[in-house]
Amino acid sequence: MNATITPDRKSILANIRIQRFTPGEHKSAFYDNFKVNVETGMTVLEVLRLIKNTQDSSLTFRAFCRSKICGSCSVRVNGKPLLACSTQLMPILDDFKQESVIIQPMRNMPVLRDLVVDIDPVIEKLAKMHPYIMENRGRIPETLEQESLMSRQELTKFDYITDCILCGSCYSACSAASADPNYAGPLTLGKAYRFSADVRDSFKGERMQAAVDQGLWSCAQCRKCINVCPKDTRPAISIQRLRKMSIDDGIHDTPGSRRAKAYTDDVAKYGQVNKPMLPVIVNGPKGWAAIEAADNYLIKHGIEPTHQVCTLDGQSSTQKIYAKVKELESRGENKT
Amino acid sequence: MSEKIRYGFYSGCCFQGADERFFQILQDVFAKVDVELELIVDAVCCGSGVIEERSELTSLAVNAKNMAHAEQMGLPLYTPCSTCYNVIANAQKRMQEDPAVHAQVNEILAEQGLEYKGTCKITHTLWVFAQDVGLDKLKERITNPLNGLRVASYYGCHTRNPADIQGYESADNPTSLEDILEVLGVQIVDYDTKDDCCGYHLAWPNNKLNMQMTSNVLEGAHTKDVDMLVTSCPLCFKSMDGTQAKALAQTGKNFQLPVLFLPELVGLACGMSAEDMMLRYHGVPVNIRL
Repeated sequence: MNATITPDRKSILANIRIQRFTPGEHKSAFYDNFKVNVETGMTVLEVLRLIKNTQDSSLTFRAFCRSKICGSCSVRVNGKPLLACSTQLMPILDDFKQESVIIQPMRNMPVLRDLVVDIDPVIEKLAKMHPYIMENRGRIPETLEQESLMSRQELTKFDYITDCILCGSCYSACSAASADPNYAGPLTLGKAYRFSADVRDSFKGERMQAAVDQGLWSCAQCRKCINVCPKDTRPAISIQRLRKMSIDDGIHDTPGSRRAKAYTDDVAKYGQVNKPMLPVIVNGPKGWAAIEAADNYLIKHGIEPTHQVCTLDGQSSTQKIYAKVKELESRGENKT
Repeated sequence: MSEKIRYGFYSGCCFQGADERFFQILQDVFAKVDVELELIVDAVCCGSGVIEERSELTSLAVNAKNMAHAEQMGLPLYTPCSTCYNVIANAQKRMQEDPAVHAQVNEILAEQGLEYKGTCKITHTLWVFAQDVGLDKLKERITNPLNGLRVASYYGCHTRNPADIQGYESADNPTSLEDILEVLGVQIVDYDTKDDCCGYHLAWPNNKLNMQMTSNVLEGAHTKDVDMLVTSCPLCFKSMDGTQAKALAQTGKNFQLPVLFLPELVGLACGMSAEDMMLRYHGVPVNIRL
């Protein structure tokens, strides 16, 4: 009828490759291929259900609300973690210009069966992060009739994370979490920031300790978590803010906080990060070993080592920018 | 002689020490495809996302300054570094979304007589080759096709994530790097760890984890019997070439895999020699006889 509101409907006979695995029964994971007529508008979950109903009733996956709110149906399609219920398959087929997709369970979590993973290890890490509010007595109203109100500005500091549904997509995408099983992961640190930034809370100190212990400085800021989050909760940004919070609170004795100080000060001083001397700035005297190793590397390749930073010309005006920002921030007038 | 494509060249911080050679290499390789780089003289370091850990406004103001200089030159801002691209593009997006922040940043810059208008176009090596120069022109300039070379391609994270910092290609299925490599004649090999992060930005806060992540990516490529890994990110290059020996030793692995920075391979395909590309400065020896 109306071409502008009715999308072009098309249908592709696609090959859906699904990773199958039942611990104890199969020696390793393997792939099953299913031919499905994928139509415009079909979600990944609809395709999975169609396969289960018409082709193989033993196919196992988890799904509940079908409304992008319970977070139970996350799977990986062509490697990217997403919610099966809220993602249409046709745009993915178009994007990859292929008539097949691979559906796998999420990464970094043990597989229970087929596409179902055990998210408990992640929830256990979250539990260690004190993900709850401990009352801030200064914010408790005088009478029972009054409410503990928050200003819009106070709320915007963390309201974007309250949408997190613990689907685990960010945890699945995180390379640091796969390389280090002790690392808390993006959603856990995001939640730690959410509660620490809440003005009604008074438990920031304990939570900060938990965050530092569980890898506040183990995030590489690759930002994949921002890309995959179905609710746009931007965990990497929360991690940056949690790091700032920890430094503002006086936790200066981590290599990460020393790096943050070094980068910030160097840019004002030289317009550039002082890379040659960074090992000593970050790691103290033992950093000299790294500098000597770097020097030897240069000498081996016939380059004269220098400990001079290559200054960039913009540095003089940068100092004025820093002063102005500092002035705004000290008055609490910064709009960030 | 066809017309030159010009860019404001934002050098970033990574080309210090042994990597200073890349200034020359980049200009030489770009000259082969009629691209001219004009250094943004008054630029400063983008802060590589670390300044945000002290003050977000400082980071935005510093990067608005970088873009304002490019705007004054009337040229698109080109940076070879993926992290610089990420941080600057992110600052641009943040100010687009929040006019109050944009106005405040301009207030700060006004004292230096600068204004960031928001018109600055930002680009990266990938899209300079694949889109601005174009694959057809690149193909014309190739005198030494690298046929049969088995190459693992590696984007790194900062030109891809988050999805909305670039409008050049799909973030979930980028093809620019493979498109360029295909034109060079190489055989692209798929491997499991190509979407993983090399962990370069953990070099200071958590070196052990950085080594583990680098080693994971390298091993994924190594198991596919590739001749080399090629990356478009100079920081991934540092991590995977410069610290490869350490990463593999720490994780108990025993192999070596040559790693090339994308412009080097383009240079070789355009007929420049290993000597021109200064391959001898690599941490892992590159023995190309093509």
